[in-house]
Amino acid sequence: MAVCEKWRRKSHEAHPNLHVSVCLPSAMTDLNRLASLMRNDWNRRISHDARFWMSDGYVSEDAMWSTGARDLALLLDGISLPSSSACLLEVGCGIGRLLRAALGRFDRVIGIDVSDRAIEEARALYAQIPESQGHLEFKVGNGIDLREIESGSVDVVVSFAALTSMPADVVANYLREFHRVTRAGGRVRLQMYLGREHRVCEDDTLHIRCYAEDRFVEAARLAGFDLDWIRPLTLPLQVSIEEQGVRAVIVSLHRTERQPLSQGEVSRALLPTGEMRPTEISETEGFYEPGLEHWVSLNYAKELAERGDTTRARETLAYAAQCARTAAIDVSDILQSIQSLIERKEKGSNREVVTSLAPAVGSWREANQRALAVRSERTQLFLTPGSGSAEVRMTGDGPVVWLQGQCLDHAEKPVAAARSWAQRILSEGRIKECRHIVVYGFGAGYHVEALLSMSDKRISVIEPSPAVFDAAIAGRDLTRTFQKLYGLSVGFPEGDPRFDFLDQESELVIRPQSQTVSGDFCTRVKALSFGARGLTALHPSIAVLGPFMGGTLPIAGYCARALFGLDQRLRSWDVSGFASSLGQFEKFVFEPMRRDTLRGAYIEMVSQVLLEAATEKPVDILICMAQAPVSGRVLTELRKRGVVTVLWFMEDYLRFTYWREMAQYYDFVFTIQRGECVDRIRAAGAGAVHYLPMACDPGIHRPVTMSEEERRRWGSPVSFVGAGYHNRQQTFAGLADLPFKIWGTEWPTCRPFDRLVQEEGRRLTPEEYIKIFNATEVNLNLHSSSERDGVDPSGDFVNPRTFELAACGAFQLCDHRSHLSELFEAGSEIVTFASPREMKDQIAYYLAHPEERARITQRGRERALREHTYQHRIAEMLRIIYSVKFDHLKRRAESSPWKRMIDRAKPHPELHQRCLTAFRRGEEPNLDGLVSDIVTGKGKLSETEQKLLFLHHIRSQMVRMRSEELGMKK
Amino acid sequence: MKRRYPDKRNILLVNITRLGDMLQATPTIAGMKMENPDAKVTVLVEKQFEDVCFSIPTVDEVVSLDLGMTVRSIAREGEGLIDAYQYVDEVVSDLRGRSFDYCLNMSSSAYTALLLKLIGIGRNGGWTADEEGYRVIESEWARLFASSVFHQNRQYNSLNLVDVFRCSADVEQHPHALQLKVTEEARRYAQELLAEARWTNNGPLIAVQAGASQGKRQWSPALFARMVRTLVQKHNARVVMVGTQKERAIIDPIVSEVASPNVLSVAGRTTIAQLSAVVEASKVLITGDTGTMHISVAVGVPVVAMFLASAYGFETGPYSAGNLVLQPIIACGPCNPNKPCARPDCHDTLDPEVLGELAMMRAQGDVVQIPPGLVDPRRAVLYRTDFDEFGFYTMRALNSDAGDGLRRYRDAYRKMWLEDLGGYQMASVQPNATTRSLALLNEGISGLEESVRLAQQGRLLIGELIKLIKDITAPGSALGAVNQQLGEIDRKIEQVGFHYPVLGPVTRMFCFSKENIQGSEALALASQMGAIYDDLQRRCLKLGAHYAAIA
Repeated sequence: MAVCEKWRRKSHEAHPNLHVSVCLPSAMTDLNRLASLMRNDWNRRISHDARFWMSDGYVSEDAMWSTGARDLALLLDGISLPSSSACLLEVGCGIGRLLRAALGRFDRVIGIDVSDRAIEEARALYAQIPESQGHLEFKVGNGIDLREIESGSVDVVVSFAALTSMPADVVANYLREFHRVTRAGGRVRLQMYLGREHRVCEDDTLHIRCYAEDRFVEAARLAGFDLDWIRPLTLPLQVSIEEQGVRAVIVSLHRTERQPLSQGEVSRALLPTGEMRPTEISETEGFYEPGLEHWVSLNYAKELAERGDTTRARETLAYAAQCARTAAIDVSDILQSIQSLIERKEKGSNREVVTSLAPAVGSWREANQRALAVRSERTQLFLTPGSGSAEVRMTGDGPVVWLQGQCLDHAEKPVAAARSWAQRILSEGRIKECRHIVVYGFGAGYHVEALLSMSDKRISVIEPSPAVFDAAIAGRDLTRTFQKLYGLSVGFPEGDPRFDFLDQESELVIRPQSQTVSGDFCTRVKALSFGARGLTALHPSIAVLGPFMGGTLPIAGYCARALFGLDQRLRSWDVSGFASSLGQFEKFVFEPMRRDTLRGAYIEMVSQVLLEAATEKPVDILICMAQAPVSGRVLTELRKRGVVTVLWFMEDYLRFTYWREMAQYYDFVFTIQRGECVDRIRAAGAGAVHYLPMACDPGIHRPVTMSEEERRRWGSPVSFVGAGYHNRQQTFAGLADLPFKIWGTEWPTCRPFDRLVQEEGRRLTPEEYIKIFNATEVNLNLHSSSERDGVDPSGDFVNPRTFELAACGAFQLCDHRSHLSELFEAGSEIVTFASPREMKDQIAYYLAHPEERARITQRGRERALREHTYQHRIAEMLRIIYSVKFDHLKRRAESSPWKRMIDRAKPHPELHQRCLTAFRRGEEPNLDGLVSDIVTGKGKLSETEQKLLFLHHIRSQMVRMRSEELGMKK
Repeated sequence: MKRRYPDKRNILLVNITRLGDMLQATPTIAGMKMENPDAKVTVLVEKQFEDVCFSIPTVDEVVSLDLGMTVRSIAREGEGLIDAYQYVDEVVSDLRGRSFDYCLNMSSSAYTALLLKLIGIGRNGGWTADEEGYRVIESEWARLFASSVFHQNRQYNSLNLVDVFRCSADVEQHPHALQLKVTEEARRYAQELLAEARWTNNGPLIAVQAGASQGKRQWSPALFARMVRTLVQKHNARVVMVGTQKERAIIDPIVSEVASPNVLSVAGRTTIAQLSAVVEASKVLITGDTGTMHISVAVGVPVVAMFLASAYGFETGPYSAGNLVLQPIIACGPCNPNKPCARPDCHDTLDPEVLGELAMMRAQGDVVQIPPGLVDPRRAVLYRTDFDEFGFYTMRALNSDAGDGLRRYRDAYRKMWLEDLGGYQMASVQPNATTRSLALLNEGISGLEESVRLAQQGRLLIGELIKLIKDITAPGSALGAVNQQLGEIDRKIEQVGFHYPVLGPVTRMFCFSKENIQGSEALALASQMGAIYDDLQRRCLKLGAHYAAIA
């Protein structure tokens, strides 16, 4: 029985709350119950992966033997054996990792472990090792004492990474037992954690225990031992957690003739307050259930996936879900990355995930359906046929539901596990404060029943899978559950999910098992729940970073305006001023690769400027537009600081491929293309990838009135605004006979373009092209293609011009795009063409039918304003970000000095309001900002204003005096 | 003497940031007590000077303000700002609770003005702020202070700031010296320190304060070393170097350079009280314009002081009779205190050996004359400090001040202000005959005539304005036109002050008076403005008359 140190350390790094542990006094512990727990838990782990849960040498059998020999040598350092017939006992031997190395040194070697599975595997393993025959014995222990070992028969007792995870009461009893089983002068060598007392729930058989050194020595003394020495344990991996005062050590004890005191006395000496009992866990006391095993398993699954062992990865994923206790840890990121890793690895092999699913048949379906039929309010059932099938398996408690190889309840004891889960959920602070719990994932309903029985709060359920629900209602009597439930939604609604019972008072609890099998839908539900709340409850500082130049530059401004409109805290990082220097390279360096190198160096420099800006005034979210000049190094540094990095990749992913290198640096990437684009960018390492089409800014893109002169300059029966890509040149050359104006760059100067292209093909400002849109009768909107003639038959995304034209109330003919139909209704809100011929016909038709044009543009404008503004897009983007990062951003906000400052300002209402106002507009409310608000104001000064000015002048005076002292007055 | 608020019961004196300023306030405090024996005087002071205030004989209570902590809190940002704000809240609340009936703010800083606005004391002798945060200076003496310390005007002022403070508080009776108690404990400590020396000389004990408050006022250690060497080698003197720990960077090299058992450094080893006792034990202090200089004067030990760079003896010289002040003669001096100087040539105008000589002379007794040629009047003027017949500090040249081209202006201003603001009778002033005076002005101070003419024009326009205000049928445009003309006149008056630097003090006073017009009723405002034009005209005429009389 050993715990992998590597994961313990990793889990501490990865999970900031794992170390929190405040205990309440424990009542008398039932050792039998603990022993039983240990056995069950370790049997489960051994069944999953015996080597992994034991040591850092888990990648192969050789590695296991090697690390076993290394660790045994550390334990036995300096021991001279009394005789050639010496006996070694290892307590918590697992599958015998250490004992092979002991065979040559001890005549008799005994391994004992509470896990019968471990001992079974150990015996099988050593059956193939001849030298163990006659010298090695394995014994299944009872987890309480060492009654299987004769008194006075052992010379050396060792234990490595075993006592460290045992409940303290068990450790105390073992110490006494060591005295009994050792001979006079016998030695005990133990690997322990000493330092800052670090206690966990007594039921936890995985988490390490760290004891105060003096208490451990005293407990050993009371158990009949004296201390030889305590030495730090140093391994190739980090085993001590210095920042938490946890030191991994080897302890050497020698047996005295003193008789051990009782288990209670030794136990009290070891840990006077005792370990915490499950019923004593209190969120308000700061206890946090870490879900360590779940977390460690997920990380192991990821590692396996990375190694390409996708079968084991999937098994481990299932194992992780099985031992998940709570959704308090948001695992969506890691889950998504593991799943995408597995998919990538399996892609070549076309591996099908085969699940053995049997149709669920039961006698409860009709009764349950009757109970459901009675429910009318807050119930939505989307029982789509063909949505997969689930399997029902029987346990001692009743049926449980499996989906895609994943048990959605506890696979063996669903009732007890559900009660334990419900208890934990209800002890969480956020749940205590809420009025309505919405559970994501129904499974067979055990946990929902437990919640309903233990809480008076409103309980609702969202079950994503109709198949799971069907299996559940077939297999169990859920009539009373349905009566008590407040809200219920089953299946995937069409389009965006909407839940009328999900309100501001709701707290969403996600069952990781269900999250595992329906990740995308879960993300959308979370977006609804946390996203909507995030928009009003969170006030992160959001920076928008545009490119140096180009068509995306104004879009950064539109996004900034949208954020402002959404009452978010905005910091606009406008780097367009750096563009002029970039142009200078071309005067000096002509070779493209050299230019690229220079450009990279320049971007690195600009990135450093941004990093300094973020150091001076930290941001919480960085939204980069496509081509934003920020390097991977700086994005990595920002992420290390907890900044959420976002890229809105508003480019054709096939044409612009820099996402391959850059995707990995972003937590979120939003694309204007669906399907493969999303998958490939995700596979390139982006945290999460979502589709987010372009939009318009009604403040900029709007109908404008113009003078006759302006209309003459900007207007035309037919116009096009945009760059001269191949397909446009090829198509528009055929329109030379029309009254047609072309505006934009990169057009040829030959015929017929020399006549069509306006104002020497210069770049236009948004204000100018909006005038063109407005002054033109038929605007052409042909999406660009460098490869194809005319209309790209596989064109998917919709360009910004489409939305901008619509918002301007300008008539447009747009080429057919596959994503267009969900954005505008063709024929009614927009007119599309599939070929240049059709375009030309439509030009003629619509030039002749101005009333029809007017009707279409009116509807198009209404649709654009209703659904396609940047405010809509940014709100959606933030909902998605907040759905995943709600807790992260909330924690960040709560730990921010500004938040604390604003809270502390509350006793001074005007000061508080001023700080809040400054904070909400994106500033840190420091003295300069607050004073700036005052000095730009007018009229009498309030008392608060006078006090702030007073502070401002004090500081100035002190600075001046300091300068005077130095004779350096500015 | 003209006085606004002669009666005071519960006085707050705000003098926060400098040791020297605090000591310079002591004649005013003592004077207030002399004139109002039952009054209580509370001093608001920066925390580090709190102890000094306990040594001022006439202070009843001290309230300290921890500016260092406040600025550190602000620098922490976040919660630090709230800490600072709460601290201010508490200070204001505490001071409000003390119900002061009079406040003399001796600081011209914006923050003390705001603080006094927050406290809301009814009668003020110095700076405060109005409801919109703009400065208010009720007392004309305080306005004179503000005008005089305005850099371009400094050289035309010969009134010591101690007296200007005092008059701001309407205090006439006062001791002719700064005030500071030396405790027996401090004296004992000083004796112990001095006993550490292994003197071989037996001449007078001369204290030397070598450190200065500003870099450009810092006489070089090499020059100090020459002076100290002269004292110990030529004059058999014993020298004690005083100063702070920070000043040891200046003092230690001097001590090493001289390397004499007759030089003892106690720098960094004394509190202010103990420093006072060390200085008290000395015969003379040689110093720049420093806080130690004021301490010395306050404990009755004469000083030989050099006023280098921006330091100006008339303004902040040692406030007692019989001190010796060396003021370099240099075109750029006294320079702007807010500007650094890369080449302080004024330092070279003073001869270290002469300084030593002067100190020895003063150690032997009051110096009313010096041997001819001892101090070259082309390089520096040596003054002896004194008091005039009205009890105002003055300095009289012991060599020749012929090289001081501004003396006549300064004297004329002195007489004009004492007469105009203080109500003192000046024998030399001619009857107030405008025509004659103007004729005189033309021969004397350039620009005076223009100022007087502008003031008269202003006065006439105010008359028109008052008529228009009273005439309810007058069109608004007429009022606007007159206002516009007045604005133009005021602008020209201010320009005259810049164009003719000698008129800077009167035009600056005009500007300050305008700033301090109170109320919002049109007639009252016009009436106040009329009086300000009258003040300007009267002051210009008096200035011209005094200038002529001096000639």
